[in-house]
Amino acid sequence: MIKNFAVRCWKVLASLQVTIIALVLLMALVVLCTLAQTELGTLGAVNTYMRSFLVWRRLRGAPFPLPLFPGGALVGLVLVANLTAALVRRFEFNPRKLGLWVVHAGLILLVAGEFATGAFQIDARMSIEQGQTVNYLESYHQMELAVSDITDPAHTEEYGVPDPRLREGAAIPLPGTPITLKVKRFYLNANLAPLAAGDPPSLADRGVGAGVRVAPAPPAASDKEVNATSAFVEPVAGGRSYGTWLVSTVLGAPQSFIHEGRTYMLSMRPRRYYLPYAITLKKFSHDNYAGTSIPKNFSSLVHLSNPGRGEERDVLIYMNQPLRYDGKAFYQASYGKGDTLSILQVVSNPGWLLPYISCVLITLGLLVHFGITLFGAIKRRQLSGEAA
Amino acid sequence: MKLAKLFTWLPGVLALAAVLATALPPGRTRGFDMDTFGRTPVLEGGRIKPLDSVARNALLMIRSKQSVPSEGREIGPDEWLLDVLFRPRTADAQPVFVINDPDVLGLMGLKQTSNRYFSFDTIIAHIQEIETQARAAEALESGQRSRFQNAVVNLYERLSLYNQLENSVQLMDSPGLFMELQNLGNPQAVQRQRSLSEMARFRILPPLPGQSPDAWQNTGEGLLAAGAGQTHPALTALALAGAGYKAAQPEAFNRGVAEFQGLTANIRPQALRHANSEILFNRIQPFYLGMVIYVLALLALFTSWLWKRELLQPAAFSLLAAGAVVHTAGLLSRILLQGRPPVTNLYSSAVFVGWAAVILGVVLERMYRKGFGTAVAAAAGFASLIIAHHLAMEGDTMEMMRAVLDSNFWLATHVVSITIGYSGTFLAGTIAIAYTLRKHIAPDPDPATTRALVDMTYGIICFALLFSFVGTVLGGIWADQSWGRFWGWDPKENGALLIVLWNAVILHARWGDYIREKGLMACAIFGNIITSLSWFGVNMLGVGLHSYGFMDQAFWALAWFILSQLALIALCLAPRRFWTALTN
Repeated sequence: MIKNFAVRCWKVLASLQVTIIALVLLMALVVLCTLAQTELGTLGAVNTYMRSFLVWRRLRGAPFPLPLFPGGALVGLVLVANLTAALVRRFEFNPRKLGLWVVHAGLILLVAGEFATGAFQIDARMSIEQGQTVNYLESYHQMELAVSDITDPAHTEEYGVPDPRLREGAAIPLPGTPITLKVKRFYLNANLAPLAAGDPPSLADRGVGAGVRVAPAPPAASDKEVNATSAFVEPVAGGRSYGTWLVSTVLGAPQSFIHEGRTYMLSMRPRRYYLPYAITLKKFSHDNYAGTSIPKNFSSLVHLSNPGRGEERDVLIYMNQPLRYDGKAFYQASYGKGDTLSILQVVSNPGWLLPYISCVLITLGLLVHFGITLFGAIKRRQLSGEAA
Repeated sequence: MKLAKLFTWLPGVLALAAVLATALPPGRTRGFDMDTFGRTPVLEGGRIKPLDSVARNALLMIRSKQSVPSEGREIGPDEWLLDVLFRPRTADAQPVFVINDPDVLGLMGLKQTSNRYFSFDTIIAHIQEIETQARAAEALESGQRSRFQNAVVNLYERLSLYNQLENSVQLMDSPGLFMELQNLGNPQAVQRQRSLSEMARFRILPPLPGQSPDAWQNTGEGLLAAGAGQTHPALTALALAGAGYKAAQPEAFNRGVAEFQGLTANIRPQALRHANSEILFNRIQPFYLGMVIYVLALLALFTSWLWKRELLQPAAFSLLAAGAVVHTAGLLSRILLQGRPPVTNLYSSAVFVGWAAVILGVVLERMYRKGFGTAVAAAAGFASLIIAHHLAMEGDTMEMMRAVLDSNFWLATHVVSITIGYSGTFLAGTIAIAYTLRKHIAPDPDPATTRALVDMTYGIICFALLFSFVGTVLGGIWADQSWGRFWGWDPKENGALLIVLWNAVILHARWGDYIREKGLMACAIFGNIITSLSWFGVNMLGVGLHSYGFMDQAFWALAWFILSQLALIALCLAPRRFWTALTN
């Protein structure tokens, strides 16, 4: 009985019906994900529809979100399971089927590659002004509350608290310092305005924040907007409070306090990842086609300096020609400030090779399989022609 | 028998001869040498092109046609441009602005009538109102604007293009270049020359020997340089041509343009050679003529199913072949003129999709010889060239490539394979439509032909799957090379993925025997919907890296196309002659 049931399940798992249903579901997800990009932005739509196991949606009147549709990750897993089961169940050595086997093995790799990208890819940027040297990457989406010890101008110590840890009511001790940060309010996105007459007083009693009104805002939806992440925090050290401060990505003015002779600066900024090497922008260039404002090319001439490996060299980064270094690729992405600021996109993806391998496999497999089919058809036609 | 064989090839040969005849240079108009004038190379939109191209593209953008009625005649683009440059008062009275939007007409106090063309003189009375409305609409993103707002922005853009053209060689209402050359140092003249240098649409003075090949100047810049002591030798010739045209003295005009051309030939021979090749391409209009020949092929084929099949079917094939030759020649000329692979923008993708479908159709016809290959190839070629014809209204079809896309290797591999994938999917859909119509119309469809149609569709779907998959993957590799991600779920990437997935669904459903003949054909027609959405639909979303060409008006065309395909799917699934059952 149980054995029968298992056999039936195995049959269903390996069946073509499952393949077709999963492919059609995947098509529906692709359409939904594409349409949602105008509202949620690319990353939001991909996370909602593609990199999730279930698509959740709060229906009107319902108190909590419901899983309404299988997500891309689930459909991808089902496809891989279905494919593997089919390969195992139907495997027979037949040269006529060789192409098909190769194609499907390649497909499994392709889906695995997309899972690896979803799990491990890090996407960041590096903005450098001409003449500036930068040794860190900045996250596109995550912010951090940075506390920098700027007592010694030649050597700054920095402690960053990434935004997921900034929960209201949290007390975050900064390792290596006597300071504990108490988070009084946290806004992933907010609208800041000068405090007007009649507004309730600001939570902040120190720094510029005392004169600012903060209203929560929905998280940035499109790819063009950036969250104005803000928080009210109270640094405490040695049992003493240093007042409540407003920190926000849209506040430019430096704010600092002094504890036992050391000066600490507070700021909210894109999360930084420090590198063991530094890059200096020597020259950014950008040409337009003669007599138009259509860009013809961009390029950044940079100097790469890695004392750890004794490397000192110049590199030209331009369109379609990134710098690949230290498991990362640096791409020319954008520019600004009258052509003196260059923005590089930096990507590291340990699974980057998988799609290449799978593509070669699938292409070869399709060629072999359709080639065999085509020659077979031509031969049959010739035979039937001769017979007639 | 021999005569019959000859006859079968005659239509194709005649069509080719007619095409060649259009390449002959036109005679003089009112004694003016328009031909030499049209060959003048200029720098516009970042590339060297003949004035004839400037005139044609501008007239297409402004009027959606390549001719204008003036003083009781139809005049061509070159003559129109001459009027705009040197007789602006005459040009202002010509009905060049096509306005279809009733609200824009209402804004000018005009009623919608059968006359859709208005002169600059008519519009100028309302320019303030148009400008106010256009400025307000421009503040919105193009996706947010209403139909009226899009139409008014569009009209305003065409008005400013027209205004730039009128001030490209000399300021309109000024006595002409001779006067400017006599008053070089005069402060008022310098002011005028400065405005001229800012307004000019194109740069007509070729770089002198020793200057960079990009250093083309417009006449305003040329006059300013002349004021500083560096007179461009071609300025006097241009002044002579302008004065001659204005005063209706053909000899003076002809002498001026000949002198100007002689100078250009001396200092920038390559620019002139390029202009000469491009003008040949402009004159033949291979894609327009190809479209006409495809229609003829289609007509011949339809007739063949009723009458003289053995004669007309080969004749239709010869016309198809002639159309394919013209289409191919046009495609090759574009590749040579641009120095780029065949597909560089939406317009050229339409031309290429049609071309690949036609070639596939020719191959199918040689394999099966049922006439259906000819029918679907001619229909697909015609449809895609019509689409291309409408896309050409957006301006220069050989525009420069944005820096991100500037890679001939990837354009040649990724873009071409994807586009062949589109062609294949559309061709399969077209064969399925032919199957559907035949099923309901043909009095007694023979099973062998039905079998052949099913085989063709199946084979083409395999072909389309291969190319769209390879193309999608190559796109991923390009993206990984230049942006650092293999797959970004960008709308255009998703569109390509949908085509791959759909073709895979069809093939798996066929192998599993879940669909048979009818189901396969209905699925193939649905492929048309998927491909059209992937090709044009994502451009309408206006997000992502591929959304360089945003289109507003195509939305309704696309919606109607999808509806028609859905209707065809229903017809495909309906039993043969189902209406007889309904009427009984």
